[in-house]
Amino acid sequence: MYPKEIEKILQKVQKPGRYVGGEIHSVIKNKDEVDVRFTFCFPDIYEIGMSHLGIKILYGAFNQVPYFWCERVFAPWVDMEQQMLEKKIPLYALESGDPVKDFDFIGFTLQYELSYTNILNMLKLAGIPLRSEDRHDLFNIVVAGGPCACNPEPLADFFDLFFLGDGEEVDIEVMELYRQCKKEGVGKHEFLVRAAQIEGVYVPSLYNVEYNPDGTIKSYTPKEGAPAKVCKRNVNNMDGAYFPEAFPVPLIEVIHDRVSVEVLRGCIRGCRFCQAGFLYRPFREKSIETIDRQCRALCASTGYDEISLSSLSTSDYSSLNELLDCLHRWTEKAKVSLSLPSLRVDNFSPELMERVNSVRKSGLTFAPEAGSQRMRDVINKNVTEEELLRTVNVAFAEGWTRIKLYFMIGLPTETIDDVLAILELGKKVVDAFFANKEKPRGKPVEVSLSAAAFVPKPFTPFQWFGQDSMELLHEKQHELKANNRSRRVSVSYHGAETSFLEAVFARGDRRLCAVLERAIEQGFHFDSWDECFDFARWMELFELCGLDPAFYASRARGFDEIFPWDHLDYGVRKEFLIEECKRAYEGKTTPNCREKCSNCGAACYKGGICVENR
Amino acid sequence: MKTVRVWFSKTGAAKYISHLDLTRCMARALKLSKLPVWYTEGFNPHIYMTFAMPLSLGTEGLRECMDIRLTEGIDLTEAAKKLAENLPKDIAVLEITEPVLGFDATAYAEYELSINSEEPQVLADSIDDILSQDSIIVMKHTKKGEKEFDIKPHFTLLDKQTGPGLLRVKLRASCSQEGSVNPALLLEAVKRYENVELYAEITRIRLLTKDFSDMR
Ligand code: SF4
Ligand code: SF4
Repeated sequence: MYPKEIEKILQKVQKPGRYVGGEIHSVIKNKDEVDVRFTFCFPDIYEIGMSHLGIKILYGAFNQVPYFWCERVFAPWVDMEQQMLEKKIPLYALESGDPVKDFDFIGFTLQYELSYTNILNMLKLAGIPLRSEDRHDLFNIVVAGGPCACNPEPLADFFDLFFLGDGEEVDIEVMELYRQCKKEGVGKHEFLVRAAQIEGVYVPSLYNVEYNPDGTIKSYTPKEGAPAKVCKRNVNNMDGAYFPEAFPVPLIEVIHDRVSVEVLRGCIRGCRFCQAGFLYRPFREKSIETIDRQCRALCASTGYDEISLSSLSTSDYSSLNELLDCLHRWTEKAKVSLSLPSLRVDNFSPELMERVNSVRKSGLTFAPEAGSQRMRDVINKNVTEEELLRTVNVAFAEGWTRIKLYFMIGLPTETIDDVLAILELGKKVVDAFFANKEKPRGKPVEVSLSAAAFVPKPFTPFQWFGQDSMELLHEKQHELKANNRSRRVSVSYHGAETSFLEAVFARGDRRLCAVLERAIEQGFHFDSWDECFDFARWMELFELCGLDPAFYASRARGFDEIFPWDHLDYGVRKEFLIEECKRAYEGKTTPNCREKCSNCGAACYKGGICVENR
Repeated sequence: MKTVRVWFSKTGAAKYISHLDLTRCMARALKLSKLPVWYTEGFNPHIYMTFAMPLSLGTEGLRECMDIRLTEGIDLTEAAKKLAENLPKDIAVLEITEPVLGFDATAYAEYELSINSEEPQVLADSIDDILSQDSIIVMKHTKKGEKEFDIKPHFTLLDKQTGPGLLRVKLRASCSQEGSVNPALLLEAVKRYENVELYAEITRIRLLTKDFSDMR
């Protein structure tokens, strides 16, 4: 139910279907009969937010509780935002149409750093004070979870609390606590003090930060009984974890218009650049029976004809073939197709391809991440050139002619030769095509190489690394483009500037709150969209606030430095990350969790692959 | 195999979804309803569906129709009920019938425009004036840019009613496979001749044949 006043402005905006709700399985309750109202805010447009699995899980989990009501809100696109501002219509939730400022909880998911302005802008559009200290009552509690909560410090002044790790249990415990506090009539501060005792809850206002003269962190001191180390929450039993049997089915087309079922959490591989690989340890699988049941339930409730078996690395599922067999028993008859979100170079086979369709449309995509073997060893991406060439040969024989390869540039120890090796690899793929006897006739081969600039992230072995300067990144990009001699190979790269800003916020501290606050005053939003991103204006903001962005992005740190996220605990020990960092610089790889346990620390959760027999 | 005609309404939130989105939504609902619908053949089979007249985005439809094919004879009342259960609340199934006429028999549609106005009577009079002109030229947005267009031969005023802050206009406009005229062009005409910008909720009430009888 959208508010009646927006009817007029909907005629003036693109895709009004984003703003009206009304989907099947959207949950409507009577607001007088619920105790706690939660609005799940996704800081991007509807089509992106509605493609996100996390929101579907939590939406279902919250609404299962009769006295909770969870609704959805997405960032209005710039045209809608302008109309809402002009007509003074505050941000509203899609289910009830009620203003966001009527809700007990306002929850955000922190998926990427460049969404921070959207988050704060949504609070502004809702008419809610940005700073936690300016919201005095036990009401409008602003919370967040998601991967970027592992270093939420640049947002610390705005949020009342953060959820670390798996959200499905801890979020509900906090909502229960709120309900209890409401009944007892205690205030917001007492609620936060009590919440900080729940595992997986970080209340930033309960920590005093001191800085050294050089700007690095001197200490984090907890107060009022808050834990010195905040441990992430971990759900061990994936079969027992809540998973929805239905979710709102968008009326308009969204990015991923299909059923998506999580088959496992975590990843066995410790690619050293990959934050998710460390944050979500240990690797935990659902059983075939559970996945099958969840796929059936969701197909039966949504009417979708495609299932995506989603996770960080679905092809590492230990019984993938049995799983596909099991699903095929009914999906074919039901005219439902299966897709895997990510393919790995080392297990691509014609058999697998026959059983998952959907890739056919768009060409094949692989991520070797680096061009030279030396570089791949540094980042622990255990893919060899032979494997890649064998894989593309299979693909050519099966009729594919378009191959897209993803790389990163600006990796630790990278030289210009490593960069140019990306082109050589591309060229070898082209050569493999011409040498292939079974290649499709009459269609030219197209190899596109896409190079992203590397962003060092917290909780990875590269968290000490100073990001390449933008000049150096531009130079590497230029070399890549200028040295491409093949007409069959195309090179694209994007965003040294956006990567720089990401690097600033990824490893930032609380002083950056001032920058974000100013950004909101000046109307910043949708920084992850090219049409809105304005790097020069960002640099002016840092200048205005007297902060040097290079301090956060480009500065190499020593192993003894205290980080703004060191009081947060994701199971993986800092000493392990130091070891991994040293191994990286020595070009030594580390086996994956299935081959051998490397004793990273995540075994403390006593679950998943850490306790399985190898 | 039998072709049947599904009559439905598209109101509220559903009026803001495009024709393509409506098609997807119907396909999912048909799939969920488990009706014995016919799929097209070929590499990528999909449920066969064809719509009489797409609605423009933002316009409500009270009695729209689409044809599907059934591979088995079933009770159509029961089928309508099943389909209705699987559609979002703002798309309602009115009935499923056996088609009498082809879609090419559609010639006009009847619309209601609820126009916000502080002086509805004044607005009603100026609409009368405009509609009594020999030609009513508006600018029409086309793929090739703006074009002058005479709406006079396409519009027939059926009824007018004033209420507080509101003018309701019922009119008949061309609506056929050869070409349809958007009733919102009446608002364009008022803008052009009277220089006032209007907001209206537009509802397509029903589709008509060339002798103004209901589509069947
Ligand atoms: S395979 Fe590597 S990059 Fe992919 S999720 Fe696992 S650790 Fe990350
Ligand atoms: S403790 Fe061992 S098995 Fe468990 S996540 Fe760490 S390295 Fe992998």
